[in-house]
Amino acid sequence: METTMKVCAILGLLLSTLAGDVAALSVTVNDVECVYEYVLYEGDTVSGNFVVVDHDIFWSSDHPGIDFIVSSPGGNVVQTMKGTSGEKFEFKAPRSGMYQFCFHNPHSTPETVSFYIHVGHIPNEHDLAKDEHLDPVNVKIAELREALESVTAEQKYLKARDARHRHTNESTHKRVIFYTIGEYILLALASGLQVVYIRRLFSKSVAYNRV
Amino acid sequence: MAMIVLQVILLMLHLVQNVDCIWLNLPKSGRKCVTEEIHNNVVVLADYVVISDVHIHPTPSITTKVTSPYGNILHHKENATHGQFAFTTNEDGQYLVCFWADDPNQGGALSVNIDWRTGIAAKDWESVAKKEKIEGIELELRKLEAAVEAIHENLLYLKSREAEIRQVSETTNSRVAWYSILSLGICIAASIAQLWYLTRFFQKKKLI
Repeated sequence: METTMKVCAILGLLLSTLAGDVAALSVTVNDVECVYEYVLYEGDTVSGNFVVVDHDIFWSSDHPGIDFIVSSPGGNVVQTMKGTSGEKFEFKAPRSGMYQFCFHNPHSTPETVSFYIHVGHIPNEHDLAKDEHLDPVNVKIAELREALESVTAEQKYLKARDARHRHTNESTHKRVIFYTIGEYILLALASGLQVVYIRRLFSKSVAYNRV
Repeated sequence: MAMIVLQVILLMLHLVQNVDCIWLNLPKSGRKCVTEEIHNNVVVLADYVVISDVHIHPTPSITTKVTSPYGNILHHKENATHGQFAFTTNEDGQYLVCFWADDPNQGGALSVNIDWRTGIAAKDWESVAKKEKIEGIELELRKLEAAVEAIHENLLYLKSREAEIRQVSETTNSRVAWYSILSLGICIAASIAQLWYLTRFFQKKKLI
């Protein structure tokens, strides 16, 4: 584990323009699910978002949501978000190393969480001095790239929110049809049973006009 | 020896493409699955490597399986410590990637590193640079231009999705209105039918 991390660090230096990010993956969280991402440079901005997508059985709109905890390689908690159904986050990495992003589901129903994590590095004067291939314009290009990445991240967030909205919408659509047709059938059944019961009350075989 | 080989492989992978190390913990038994919703006609590229936390030698191997939303298996590999797969999506929907530890008795937790890229991130800039003989800043600007185009495409996609959702919403809205009025109508019809039937019944029984 340690040697691989060193390999990662060496390669990071070789590639002067490095930006790490993942496509928006989804994990099913039963209790705790953790994802790890390696931050190469201290001071890198780690940004991202997550949205709880799966809500098949949704009886109360007051769902408590899940907890999100980010831990630094030293074990300190960098960020905590409790009881949310989707948030954006951003922080400056206090040190380089393996960061842990954990989702905690306090309830028994498994939830699907779609998340996106981006580690952005902008070369500063220290890097410029070390590597003669780096132009000052590379700094501007890195800033531009980070800005575009933030737009892309926002879009992934919107896409995940849209997916969740679509689930709710389709569920509402299905419920409208099934519940109203069920209601009609039950109504017809109830009136039929009422009539049958009243008939029986007045039927000759029970007792002659006992009612 | 295996660790060195693994590191060399990692090195080669890293030199070919920009690296992203997202790691997952594999439980000893059972599996870990990740899904992503991808739409049609998107290039997907992925690399995975297994590292054991406790420096077990040889590194425990895993089974990997990639499934399309309609159930087709796109990639299935057993007994591997590293691998890659690439495909272009034909179907819209959730793509599932699952990892199993091959031998549950090999102690220690496993970590799997996945480098998963879709769409614009999967583009091979090395070959573009060679073909068009551009390098350095021009290449970076090309990448930025491609990123902007991808953003534009995503926006259009989100717009069309919003239109679909709005359609369903409006249908639901009109249905709620009609079905509630219909339910009121059925209620009134049922009570009238009941009254009419019972009146006839009692008149026949000569109680009224």
